[in-house]
Amino acid sequence: MNCCMPSQYVDFPDPGGPMTNCAKGMMADLVLKKVKRNDAADKGASSSAGHGTTFRRTAPNHRSDTRPFVSHRDLTSSATMSSQFELAQNPTDAISSVNFSPYTPTRLLVSSWDKNVYLYDTHSEPGGQLLQTFEHPAPVLDVCFGRSDDEAFSCGLDWEVRRIDLTSGEMTVLSTHDAGVRRVVFSKKHNLLVSGGWDATLHLHDLETPGEFAVVRVESKVFSLSVSATKLVVAMANRAVNIYELDALKKAAGRGGEAQVEPWQKRESSMKYMTRAVSCMPNDDGYASSSIEGRVAVEWFDPSEESQKRKYAFKCHRQAIEGQDVVYPVNALAFHPVYGSFASGGGDGVVSLWDGVNKRRIRQYQRFPASIASLAFSENGKHLAVGVSPGFEDGQEDMADGAIKVFIREISETEAQGKKK
Amino acid sequence: MTRKRKRYPSLQQKLERPWCYYCERDFDDLKILISHQKAKHFKCDRCGRRLNTAGGLSVHMNQVHKEPLTQVENAISGRQGLDVEIFGMEGVPQDVIEQHIRDVEIQHFEEEQERARISGNPIRSQYPSASGQSGAKRARVKESLEEIVARAEKFRDDKAKGILPVRAPAPAVEVTPQVPPPAVPVVGAPVTQTPPFAPGAQAFPLPGAPPPIASFPPGQQFPPAPPGFAQPPGFPGAPPFAAGPPGVAAPPGFPPVAPPPGFAPPSAISASVDELISSATADTAPEKKEKPKKEKNIKLVYFDESISPEEKMARLPRFAATVRT
Repeated sequence: MNCCMPSQYVDFPDPGGPMTNCAKGMMADLVLKKVKRNDAADKGASSSAGHGTTFRRTAPNHRSDTRPFVSHRDLTSSATMSSQFELAQNPTDAISSVNFSPYTPTRLLVSSWDKNVYLYDTHSEPGGQLLQTFEHPAPVLDVCFGRSDDEAFSCGLDWEVRRIDLTSGEMTVLSTHDAGVRRVVFSKKHNLLVSGGWDATLHLHDLETPGEFAVVRVESKVFSLSVSATKLVVAMANRAVNIYELDALKKAAGRGGEAQVEPWQKRESSMKYMTRAVSCMPNDDGYASSSIEGRVAVEWFDPSEESQKRKYAFKCHRQAIEGQDVVYPVNALAFHPVYGSFASGGGDGVVSLWDGVNKRRIRQYQRFPASIASLAFSENGKHLAVGVSPGFEDGQEDMADGAIKVFIREISETEAQGKKK
Repeated sequence: MTRKRKRYPSLQQKLERPWCYYCERDFDDLKILISHQKAKHFKCDRCGRRLNTAGGLSVHMNQVHKEPLTQVENAISGRQGLDVEIFGMEGVPQDVIEQHIRDVEIQHFEEEQERARISGNPIRSQYPSASGQSGAKRARVKESLEEIVARAEKFRDDKAKGILPVRAPAPAVEVTPQVPPPAVPVVGAPVTQTPPFAPGAQAFPLPGAPPPIASFPPGQQFPPAPPGFAQPPGFPGAPPFAAGPPGVAAPPGFPPVAPPPGFAPPSAISASVDELISSATADTAPEKKEKPKKEKNIKLVYFDESISPEEKMARLPRFAATVRT
């Protein structure tokens, strides 16, 4: 298998790399099968492992007395182990999105169904500091940072896309959709804000020309958006996926009004079920998407047959209960900005880290107390924010009870790193 | 150190391979097996330390990490227990060993069968030279020129009359110069039995079944051998291949195997392959049934063709006051 590894991990997908497609495909089968089989086994082990971590942090003295045989190696490895904490002040209703600032690694925005957007400094004091809340007229479905640490954009069930001045708290409506607005993303490089809603439109806001926006019709309701350096991936209902070039969108945004922008590529999801989340690779080579049926697919932008052959999908976030495979939706995906590995969060409350190139699971974290709603890595890749709240399940009359919390996990130097060589 | 791996190892070689109790994977060498177990099954997921046994890992987890070890990682279901102390091939329960041997045998014969089907070659162990018994050399034939000419004459004559040559299997025939050429004109039933294929094949034992089959005395269930057609001792009359393998009393673990292709009409092959498969699956039926069942038995926590969970959530009465419609 060594021959298949890219020489530098940072090269990530490495199109036209030394590895043949056929070999890769074979490996995928092999490794993913393995992963599948171990899923159940790992969960048990990792959840108990998690308890150990918290215990150690709260009562270190008590422990050291009762350790009879601790080798030097064990001590060092446990010392470098990453830790995790939950924010002290959490939203009061389900969390819809968590997002780290691309400018300051400890600034975090959280949007919630309790109609608020929360701004935290995650590390100024233990448990993080809630800097401010911004109340909206309706549940907020997404929030993102804008051009600086002081600017954010939000969207939600009031159908509106808003700009929030994080210092003054002033909010201005940028545009109004014809239905709930699911996602809002900002491309710093293109100075372009894109919102996508259940009215099957994208609104393009060129921030250089305030007040102006363009509307792009898409095939279906927008469920997820993700931007890379040059592309915007739009995941929609009916398994449709459109990939736009940001340059083209930027031009259309400048023109304003109803814009006709042809997608650079139109794809059908490679998974059979509804798409839940999509996230672009940090190196602009492709994206990962997830479905409600415990599955994640990894694909590449490059339309050449060779690159398309590399795409694959795998099962995850499933649990065997009394001989029945309970399959959870994969609600959240986030790529590590440095190592290019990615995290997936499911309705089962599990967060897993995957090495998309070598098709391996790097890690699976302890089970969180409820469904994972959203995931975000900080810009330097040192922290992972995990938004936990009860997920909506079939046959549910009202919101299920359960923990509503934001966890911040510290990612140690090698934790999210895939296999080297 | 290690023997060169053959492309198609014999059953014996396959059975000699060490294999892992926890995941049923087999290895070239015991050392590799042990390092596999240390890496896959006895590795501490907290600090990466590799222990020699599950017990060792359990003690390590208890003492170092203060956590109980509940099961062996990466093990197939039913083998995750800590109660069996495994190191390499030591400590594997006898019934598991027997099951493994059975599985290997079944797989071996299935592979041979499949290879024979694809390549059209007879199964290797059925080559006369491969097994000691049929490997005996043909008796040397001493013929004078006249005899050869006479035999050729007779052959042409027979051919013209449409009689097919039947050559007696070599090992048992004492060929002397005086004996007339072995091509005995046969009329009636035996002709249908001997379609024009390599005649020597008649003497082969039933493929897959070990050679000496004493279950049917020669000449009782099958038409007696034609006169002058000597039978090697211990061999039944050549069974009509078209009928597929009759109820051969094969020793346990040796599934009845269909005759090599080309020797029987396709219907007989498929019938006998069916039989092969059914007999092979019979042993492992409870195991194999579980898997497809599990595949079907899936419960989606959330399912809808086109409405996302958030949309449904937005319709909940508690949000009705604030959600814009």
